[in-house]
Amino acid sequence: MDNLNLLFASVFIIYFIGIVAILVLPKKMSVAMLGLSGATGSLVLFIFAAFVLFRSNPYLLSLWEIRGIGKLSITVDHLSAFFLLVTAIAAMPASVFASTRISKNPQNYNTFIPAIYLSLLVSIILVLVASNVFFFLLSWEVMSIFIYFLVNSGKKEHPGYVMLAIGEAGTLAILVALVLLAQNAGTLSFAGIGANGSHLSARLQWVVFLLSFFGFGIKGGLIPFNFWMPRAYSVTPSAFIPIIAGVTLNLGLYGIIRVNTNLQFISQTGIGVVILITGAITAIIGILYATIEDDFKTVLAHSSIENAGIITTAFGASIIFLSSGYKTAAAMALVAALYHLLNHSVFKTLLFMGSGAIEDATGSRSLNQMGGLLKKMPWTGLFVLIGALSISAMPPFNGFVSEWLILESLLRSVELSSLGVKIAFIIAGALLALTAGLAVTCFIRAFGMSFLGMSRTKPMQKAKEVTKSTMASMAFLALTCLALGVLPTFIIPTINKSVEPLVGKSATVALVPPFFTNHNSKDKLPQKFVSAFHDIGAGVAEDLVPARGLVVMHRGGKANPVIFAMSTSYMFVMMAFLLGLSAVLVWVFVKRKRKVVYLPRWDGGIKELFPEMTYTATGFAQPVRVIFDTILHPEVTNQHESVAEHFRVTIRRKKEEVHLMDRFVLYPVINFTQKLSKILAKMHNGRLNTYAGYALLSILVALIIALAG
Amino acid sequence: MSSWVKKGLKTGIVTTSYPKEDEKTLGITPGFPKSTDCDEVDNEALISLCPMDALYYKNHKVMIESKDCVHCYRCLRNVEKPISWDDGFKWSVLQKKQTGFSKSFSRSIHILVVDAGDCGACLNEVKLLNNPFYNMHRLGFFVTPSPRKADVLLVVGPVSEHLKTALLKAYNAMPTPKKVMAVGACSLSGGVFKESFVVNQGVEKILPVDIQIPGCPPPPLAILEGLLQLVKEKDNG
Amino acid sequence: MLIRKITAEIKTLFSFETEPVIDTASNTLKIYCSHKQTPLVCDWLFNEKEYHFAGLIVEENALLELYYLFVGEGEKGFVNVITADELNTQNFESVSLRVHAVDWYEREAEDLYGVHFKNHPRLGDFILHDDVWQEGINPMRKSFDKDKTLFNRKPRQYYRPRKIVEEEGSFIMPIGPIFSAEAESVHLQLETIGEEIIRAFPRLFYKYRGIEKIAEGKSIENVLLLSERTAGTTAFSHALGFCLAVEKLSNETVPKKAQVLRVFFAEIERIRNHIGTIEAICNSTGLVVAASQVGILEEEMLRLSCILSRHRYFFGLCVVGGLSYECDKSTYKDSVEKIKNIVKELGEIEEFLINTSSFLDRLEEVGVISAAQAKTHDLVGPMARGSGYLNDLRKFQPYLKYDKLKFDISNETEGDGYARLRVLFTEIRESAKILEQVILLMPEGEIFIKMDIKPGTALVGIEAPRGASWHRVKIGENKKLLSYRMLMPSFRNWHGFHVAMEKYAFQDLPIILATLGLSVAENDK
Repeated sequence: MDNLNLLFASVFIIYFIGIVAILVLPKKMSVAMLGLSGATGSLVLFIFAAFVLFRSNPYLLSLWEIRGIGKLSITVDHLSAFFLLVTAIAAMPASVFASTRISKNPQNYNTFIPAIYLSLLVSIILVLVASNVFFFLLSWEVMSIFIYFLVNSGKKEHPGYVMLAIGEAGTLAILVALVLLAQNAGTLSFAGIGANGSHLSARLQWVVFLLSFFGFGIKGGLIPFNFWMPRAYSVTPSAFIPIIAGVTLNLGLYGIIRVNTNLQFISQTGIGVVILITGAITAIIGILYATIEDDFKTVLAHSSIENAGIITTAFGASIIFLSSGYKTAAAMALVAALYHLLNHSVFKTLLFMGSGAIEDATGSRSLNQMGGLLKKMPWTGLFVLIGALSISAMPPFNGFVSEWLILESLLRSVELSSLGVKIAFIIAGALLALTAGLAVTCFIRAFGMSFLGMSRTKPMQKAKEVTKSTMASMAFLALTCLALGVLPTFIIPTINKSVEPLVGKSATVALVPPFFTNHNSKDKLPQKFVSAFHDIGAGVAEDLVPARGLVVMHRGGKANPVIFAMSTSYMFVMMAFLLGLSAVLVWVFVKRKRKVVYLPRWDGGIKELFPEMTYTATGFAQPVRVIFDTILHPEVTNQHESVAEHFRVTIRRKKEEVHLMDRFVLYPVINFTQKLSKILAKMHNGRLNTYAGYALLSILVALIIALAG
Repeated sequence: MSSWVKKGLKTGIVTTSYPKEDEKTLGITPGFPKSTDCDEVDNEALISLCPMDALYYKNHKVMIESKDCVHCYRCLRNVEKPISWDDGFKWSVLQKKQTGFSKSFSRSIHILVVDAGDCGACLNEVKLLNNPFYNMHRLGFFVTPSPRKADVLLVVGPVSEHLKTALLKAYNAMPTPKKVMAVGACSLSGGVFKESFVVNQGVEKILPVDIQIPGCPPPPLAILEGLLQLVKEKDNG
Repeated sequence: MLIRKITAEIKTLFSFETEPVIDTASNTLKIYCSHKQTPLVCDWLFNEKEYHFAGLIVEENALLELYYLFVGEGEKGFVNVITADELNTQNFESVSLRVHAVDWYEREAEDLYGVHFKNHPRLGDFILHDDVWQEGINPMRKSFDKDKTLFNRKPRQYYRPRKIVEEEGSFIMPIGPIFSAEAESVHLQLETIGEEIIRAFPRLFYKYRGIEKIAEGKSIENVLLLSERTAGTTAFSHALGFCLAVEKLSNETVPKKAQVLRVFFAEIERIRNHIGTIEAICNSTGLVVAASQVGILEEEMLRLSCILSRHRYFFGLCVVGGLSYECDKSTYKDSVEKIKNIVKELGEIEEFLINTSSFLDRLEEVGVISAAQAKTHDLVGPMARGSGYLNDLRKFQPYLKYDKLKFDISNETEGDGYARLRVLFTEIRESAKILEQVILLMPEGEIFIKMDIKPGTALVGIEAPRGASWHRVKIGENKKLLSYRMLMPSFRNWHGFHVAMEKYAFQDLPIILATLGLSVAENDK
């Protein structure tokens, strides 16, 4: 316990030292402090969170007592520990990256921004560990403000207002939800609310759910209120976007999970269906816009929306299973959701780092202007490729494992009885499958247009590779992607530690059978089963690797002994072996005997292939635009300029797509509010007598209410 | 759709059995002038009739420089003693002994057709190679649009200077082993466009030619015979 | 005579320094205009009087003379709008700002003759590719020296494709010059943002052989060889045009039998050429079954041609003074029977094609050229008749015996690929009808007469299978050609290519290209 107290305190001490140092020291050194303090603090945080996760009891710390509000306490239960772990993994390289970016162009940044960065990290930790309604909301607001400062630090005009406005609306919804819960339980502490959580009426569950889901969904990037995300992400400076995209998105999802599994127990299946469908629709809309955007950063922003949708879908499945009593399936779905959340933080941070590196090296974010960067920035290209492979769910990387687990958990809906719910699952599953396909298209396009092909504009030819520290940050995340993909049988039990207290059943038992017979686990498998699998190699490496086994498998009954199974660990080994073998065979049989000649590309025989004759990113995405034309509903303007009507000089066309959520939510809300304001503005007609009349009217109304009440 | 099937069955097989048997149907070839003994013709008059200077005197015979003949028929028509005429189609001239296409190329040769300024007649005859009457696919010849997959470069047309780069690029883009086939009088010597300021007189000036098919235009069977010669499959004739 | 009417009208509208003159020998009205008047007069003739534009002829004498040739519908004779300027400094006004059909002819004149048009917006890289030729060389001028260095040996910095579309993410899709398996060499630049073709620009003249220049100073027989081999698949028609033009400069007439047989062979060539186009259309949509069936018919036509003339493409058949080869009458009768069978088979195939919806889908409403666009570019041939723009010279300016024969011109108005396909089928049927009538008309007699050609200039228009084409010969004292001008139908139709192609998708490109039936060799000369 003491060690944990020490660790926890150290985290904050390191951060505070960092903040003070930044405020005091001259600019050059303060930027280095950002990286140093951020990385070290996150490392200590990682160790702390790991310790807590592997303990059996949550970590409790009481702080001060505030009169009228109660004891401010900090509870790091397993769910919070998991989220702290995710934050730490992402924050370590992100802090180093941020400091490198700032040190390259220090004049573009305010002197105190690094301090705000560290403060943001502190506030994130506080949000994750708060166990009192008041404390939670306070940290939430502080965090929102710090995010706003970071987003705004890029010296653009009014970029974050939409984010701030909708964020405050979200906070208001969260406030009402938590207050309702607290009122029903009679206490402001999360523990008390949680204890009361199973006794809530259906109506209260729905109200709290709707408010918290759509309120936290704003931060989490769920429809219909995620129109702020592309706007905010595109104006955030490239130094800070990794931490914002990789970490703050998780907070919204944390809030949803915390409220709906820990603070209240959902017994209504309908709620789960709403989560499921909202998540699926978010995912498809997100990836659709990601595939057609031309700005690399905006592509990644929409992709974040997509991944948030996927996580939410899995969470919805989990809630449905839980409320119907299928705890094992619920555990699997929730493990899948959290696994995807972890993976998303890692590869999204990596991708944003890559896009930031490209932006700094070439000054451009438009995919239509990039090209041929692989020769100039090979390492960045390699790491962005790994990120793109991970996000497209390619084995053996991490995205594959979590998406596969999510789809498999959706298939568990066969165990349910209600037809309507099953149909909802089918729809969600189909939408997720379509999303996965579009995601591959999107990232082939994003990687191919930026790194491969010819340089389309001059700045591309002057690009230089990034500094070693940036490379180190990206390499760290790339290796993490690989590790999370190749070792799922280690990660699933770890995540299970946070899932089991919420759901009541262990997913490890359901997902990772103990094929390694020397592993001392409480559950044993039937001997015949194990030997059958050992025959096909499931026992390989049992002496080398301290795990239950290396195969992820869900077992069924007698009739259907294996429902699904896969092993990225073995897959990785086989892939490496086969690739190596192929290389050797090619060298022995081909390269030694034949001459390899490198000839210029065949271009039809023209004298020179100019960059404007190669495919652009817009052209690559055109078929997707054509197919989804009704949804995208672009506005096309045409303008021809010609001499004497037939000699055309220019043809100017513009296609503007207005985001679905803008069209259906943002603009109608703005229009309505403006109309309403106009009507209400009639109240302010400037005449003193009217205002006096208003005052009199209010007094009358107050008297009536007081008398009646 | 079934109407096409019925029509196909009704039409039956019209493919020639060349190279197994010789093809003698009327109309398959315009023929070619043959070397004629001096006793049968009036040398000087005959030789002066040719606008391409393709006829010459040698060894008591009037000989033909096959790569110059453009089928104007002046030595055959409205002449008292016309030149002898070959009504066959086996006119291809191998430039050197053919090696290079190993067994793996048998029944699988890919041809890249490059139109280097041709008038349309030679190109049409090349197109007809895959007509149901001739069907070169049954002999293992295929046409490909990409030089990376081609084994034989078939050039038609006098090489116009504007296309020289494209032709050279196509040749260089082909992997070895590769062969060049020049089809038609224009690609052998420039044909009637010999004296043009913008024409290279024949493919030989630019690329090493492996086989020549003279004629203006050579009929599909002549081109097919040339292809078979190129890959060392002899016919019965 | 309608030319007199035009003369009277034009005298009231414009005032000329020199009076317009009617040359009765060649049935031509010559209007001499100043630089400023030329565009106005041409505009009036083309747009108001609905004349067709035949071509632009440049002559280098004491001055550099430009002859804009116009032909009236159904009217015999030509109208020449003539303007002239100094040899080395010119200030011509471009007519193409008002009559767009003249555009390519003026560009050709600028490239080959060095004629300078003051306000033509698109001069430059056209026939003489900028990345091959040295600056300032004009091959068709008398001062051209072919032993000088003509071509650019320096690296290719002199040509960059012109990009007109300004849209985020638009690019130029390059196709060719070596692209498809058996297509002619042409470079297409398609400006696009993905699937849709916004602007299609063909870069032609990769096959430029300089025929008009090498014809200068050659004997008539040798120029006949050149004329046949300009476009081999329509060799007889062009040879016919050349022979008719030369024969105009003689006092004798070609024997009747030869005249009738010339019609016979011209229509056979038309049928065979159209069958070839139909096969290309079937191939482009991937309907290989139909393409094979039509291909069988094409080969049968070629073998028939070989039996009738000893050459599959009629090379060496049409000579000045008649024909060079004849068969006995029964051969001709049998061939007509065979052709009737072929046309019947073709009719059956047409039925099947119309009922194959997957084929028709790709042709209908694709590659639409409206009648107005056909008029602006003054398109010719089946490509124009599919849009309802009719100018078949066999009806409107009959030559040989066409005025005595009964046949119809196809008239479709949709202007899409399917309409053009129907035009091809109709023309084949009508040509078969002509053949049947011709066989009955054929007299006995000679097919050749040796003609004495007097020096002079003659212009003749004939309906080649791809459209109206004019041949103008100028023969000198020594019976050698001073100049030979070929005004080819494909030159006109390639100008209208972009109209058919724009606003359609990549997948429609090969099909539209096939339905237009264009020949690059005929265009590039």
